[in-house]
Amino acid sequence: MSDPVASAPVSLDEERPSLVLLELIHRMKVRDVMTRELCVASRQTSMRTAQHLMRDRAISGIPIAEHGRLYGLVSIRDIIGALEGGTIDEPCQKHMSTGLVVLEEEMPLAFAIRYFSRYDYGRFPVLNREQMLVGILSQRDINRVLLRELAGEVKRLEVRTGVATAPEDDGAGKYMLREFPVARLDFENAGKAANQIRVLLLERQIAPKEVRRVSVAVYELEMNLCVHSNGGVLSCLLANGRAEIVARDRGPGIPDIEWACRDGTSTANAWVRSLGFGAGMGLPNVKRVADEFSIVSSPESGTTVRATVRVDESAAPES
Amino acid sequence: MTTGMIVQRTGWDVLTKGNSFDRHIRKIVASDLMSDVLVVDEDDLLLLTSLVSDQVVRTAQVVGAVGVVVVNGKLLPPSMVSVANGLGISLLTTRLSKYDACVALHRIMEAK
Repeated sequence: MSDPVASAPVSLDEERPSLVLLELIHRMKVRDVMTRELCVASRQTSMRTAQHLMRDRAISGIPIAEHGRLYGLVSIRDIIGALEGGTIDEPCQKHMSTGLVVLEEEMPLAFAIRYFSRYDYGRFPVLNREQMLVGILSQRDINRVLLRELAGEVKRLEVRTGVATAPEDDGAGKYMLREFPVARLDFENAGKAANQIRVLLLERQIAPKEVRRVSVAVYELEMNLCVHSNGGVLSCLLANGRAEIVARDRGPGIPDIEWACRDGTSTANAWVRSLGFGAGMGLPNVKRVADEFSIVSSPESGTTVRATVRVDESAAPES
Repeated sequence: MTTGMIVQRTGWDVLTKGNSFDRHIRKIVASDLMSDVLVVDEDDLLLLTSLVSDQVVRTAQVVGAVGVVVVNGKLLPPSMVSVANGLGISLLTTRLSKYDACVALHRIMEAK
């Protein structure tokens, strides 16, 4: 007899995925994953033309939109219905699916994954705050991006555990992975990571403005590790046109993250302030310079701050 | 205005001559709070401060500053000079207060 629990669809929570995966799908937004290059048709486009577009582009659904406003979606099922009914030359408006379930670009990826579990759709149109169509999200998009991100995580773990070594940095390639241990209250060495990262990025011909944003994020997070944590590790990964800075510490955790991310709030003591820091501008400043920012914290596992800065790939030569 | 021109006109002491000694200075930032300096969004700045710490030089490098002027005639620890040398940051000192140093720089800029 089959076990009804084991054979039931498994949700993400029940499956207990790794913390890395959980953090990833909560950190990433729909806009980071969706396809932006849209193939759309208007309401007056014939179903046959829509069919040809889908065939030529190898896509299984086409949004019906005009001037960014979404009216419906024509799927393969709609096309089959029109072929069977002899209405393939009629406009999409008559046969498109309406009452669509849509995603918003600012939604976390975890939210979108739940939608795919909940609804039997292969793709969801994505709208911005102004309710304009800005993309489409398919399961293939999610798989592609998750695989890419997880590959980066695995690489980082391999380097950290000594299973693999980081690729040689000859200064000509884009790829770079650096890790720096940061000890509590070690002001003699604090800042060295940021100084090194800045030099390495400039060597890779990353634009100076982007180098400064990355360096500032690294420096602020490095000082945070030094001042507020029990020690931790700071890493900077440059790959795929993004510089990803991760600061992981061994506690004590941040009781109120929202408060900590506000301008001017700090728990730094007078000694730290005498060194020119502790004004409560660190995390807000990291958020300011980063394109993506996330922070997770608990008293048990410490705090992980992740900041990503998009860098101009065309400015960096190919390896 | 470059760091070299400032030295020429003011006679301020040069402890290290960095890579950007002759680079055009776009902005002057006077602060003892490095957190404030880190939010300045402009390249090629000159930092004036009365703070004496290695972190001043490290902050200057992170924001792409051409140099640091330490005011009030403060004595600098050897480590600060060593860090500036290592990072290629010009390090100057002056006996002027921060305010008077700013005024002096303003006059040089006006005279140009």
